[in-house]
Amino acid sequence: METSAELQRQQRSPWRHRMRQIQAFVIDLLLLTLFLLMVEFLLVAFSGRRGPTGLLVTPEEVLDLLHYGWAVAGGALLALLWGLVSNVLGTSPGRALVLGVPEREGHLAWTQTMRGWFSALLIELTIFTGWLITEVQLVTFLTQFSKAADIVRGLVHPSSTVLHQGLVLLVQTIFLAFMATAFAIPIAFCLSFLAARNLTRDSFGLRLAYTVVRAGMNFTRAVEPLVWALIFISWVGIGPFAGVLALWVHSVAALIKLYSEQVENIDHGPVDAITATGASWLQVLRYGVVPQVIPPFLSFTIYRWDINVRMSTIIGFVGGGGIGYILKPRVDLGLWGEVGTLVLLIAATVWCMDILSAKIRERIV
Amino acid sequence: MRALSGIDLTVRQGEFLVIVGLSGSGKSTLLRCLNRLIDPSEGRIWIFGEEITATEGADLRVMRAAVAMIFQQFNLVKRQTVTSNVLAGALGRSPLLPSLFLRFSEEETAKAQAFLERVGLGDRGSSRADALSGGEQQRVAIARALMQKPRLVLADEPVASLDPALRHSVMRHIEALNRQEGMTVLCTLHDIDLIERYATRVVALREGRLVYEGEPTSFDAVTFRQIYGDDAVMAGSAVD
Repeated sequence: METSAELQRQQRSPWRHRMRQIQAFVIDLLLLTLFLLMVEFLLVAFSGRRGPTGLLVTPEEVLDLLHYGWAVAGGALLALLWGLVSNVLGTSPGRALVLGVPEREGHLAWTQTMRGWFSALLIELTIFTGWLITEVQLVTFLTQFSKAADIVRGLVHPSSTVLHQGLVLLVQTIFLAFMATAFAIPIAFCLSFLAARNLTRDSFGLRLAYTVVRAGMNFTRAVEPLVWALIFISWVGIGPFAGVLALWVHSVAALIKLYSEQVENIDHGPVDAITATGASWLQVLRYGVVPQVIPPFLSFTIYRWDINVRMSTIIGFVGGGGIGYILKPRVDLGLWGEVGTLVLLIAATVWCMDILSAKIRERIV
Repeated sequence: MRALSGIDLTVRQGEFLVIVGLSGSGKSTLLRCLNRLIDPSEGRIWIFGEEITATEGADLRVMRAAVAMIFQQFNLVKRQTVTSNVLAGALGRSPLLPSLFLRFSEEETAKAQAFLERVGLGDRGSSRADALSGGEQQRVAIARALMQKPRLVLADEPVASLDPALRHSVMRHIEALNRQEGMTVLCTLHDIDLIERYATRVVALREGRLVYEGEPTSFDAVTFRQIYGDDAVMAGSAVD
C-alpha cells in the first residue's frame, strides 16, 4: 500500500503513522468538501437564479453553518468512500501528499490516475469559481478605457509644483525605511536561530522557543503594516516615527522568516564538527552557523530595505510620514499631474535601490 | 530496519582500529554514535570508563572534548581563517563570552600556531579556510583535532575525498596522532594498501553487523570478498 520509506516509519512509530493517516484523511476531506461547494456554487450560478453577473454569496449564506456542515459531511463521506475503494480509484490526493505515492502507482502519468484527474478538475473549478466570485468583467475592461484616460494623461504629464516638497519627503521616506530596517536587524538576527527547525530539535526548551517564535512571527506578519501604522499613530502620534515603528514590526517578522530559511539551508558538516569539539549551543551557533549565513542575511536585509521604501508610501497614506503623506490628498482631489510627479519620484527611487541592491548582492554572495 | 545491531566491540587504548565495509553498512553511524552526534536508539557505549550514552548537557560536552573527529568532507568553517578553525578545537575548554567574539588566550593561540606548523601549514594561518586545497584542509582539520587534546580520534573516511597521491600524506599525520601522541584512533577506510600500512586491527561491518575482526595481515582477498560481496574487486585503491 505505502512506499517502503513509509512502511519503515510505520514500524518505527505506530502513533505517528496514525497521526499521518488522519492528516491525509483531513486533506482529502477538505479537498472533497471544496469540490462539492464549488460544484454547488457553479450550479446555482448558472441556473440563473441570481441575476446576470453578480453571484455574490451573501453574508447570511456565508454564516449558514448548517449548510457548510452538510458539505463537510459530504466531503467526509466521499473521502471515506475513496479510502474504501482505493484499489479501484488509486491513492487519494491527501494520502499521496502525506504518505507518498505507493510504488505500483509511481510510474503512472497523471492522466492515468484518479487523483490526477481530480486535481485537474479541482483547478478548473477553482478558476471558474474565482472568475464569478471576483466578478471579472472582461468586456468592460477592454472597452471602457476612456473613463481612466484623464488619470493616465495626468500621470504622464507631471507638474513641477510639488517637486520640491516631494524631494524633501522622498528623503524622509528613504530614511524612514532605513531606520525601520536597521532597528529590525538585531532582533530578527537573534530570533531567527530559534525559528530554524534544524537548530531547535535537541531540547524541550529549544522546541518550545521554536514554537513561540514561529507563532509570534506568523501573527505579526499576518497583520498588515497599514494596521500597525494605525496602532502606532495612536501610540506616538502622526508622523514618520509611527511609520518607522509600523515598518519595523513588520520587518522583524519578515526578516525572521527569510533569515531562518537560510539557517535551515546551511551545510551541516561544520555544525557537526564544532559540536564534536565539545562546544556549547551558542558556540556551535557562532562557529558552525553564523559564518555560513552572513552573506545571505546581508542580501536579504538590503532586499527588505528596498521593500520598506515601497511600503512606506502606503504607510504615509494613513499618516505615517514620508512621501505618501502628500500623495494621498492629491489622489483624493484628482490632481493627477502632481500625483504623476510623486509617483515618478517613487519609481525612480525604487529603480535605483533595485540596481544598487542587485550590485551589492552580486558582490557579497 | 536498523543502521546497527548487535555490535559488541571493545577498543583498547593505543589501538589504530580500521573499520571497513560498504557504503551504508553503518560505519559512519557507528563513529557518530561514539560522540553522540547520533543518539543510538538502544544500547550503551563506554568511553574511558564513562558511559557516554547516559551523559547529558555539560558533562556530555566534556566527554566530547576528549574525542576528536575528522570528516570525509573536512567540515571546516569555510569563511573563517585557518587559525580560527584550529582554535575551534579549544572551544570545549574556553570561556563562553570571549569565545563568542573569537577571542582566545595567548597560550591557546600559540598552541594553534604550533599545531599548524606541525601539519606543515605554519604560514597559512591567516588564509580563509576555503582558499586551501583539499589535502591542506584535511590537515587543518587534523590540527583542529590536535587542539582538542583528545584521547580518542574518530576519522570518518578521512582520505576518501582526496587525490590518491595525497592520501599517504594525510594518513601519516593521523598515524602520528596514534604513534607519537598515544591517541586511540578509530578510522574508516576502503583501500587495502592503506589498511595494511596503518591498521593495528581491522573490523568489518556488513548491513549493520560486525562480520569480521582480525589482524590487518590476515585481511586477504577471501575476507575482502566476504565483506564487500562477490562483485567487489580488490585493487590498490578501488572500491568506493
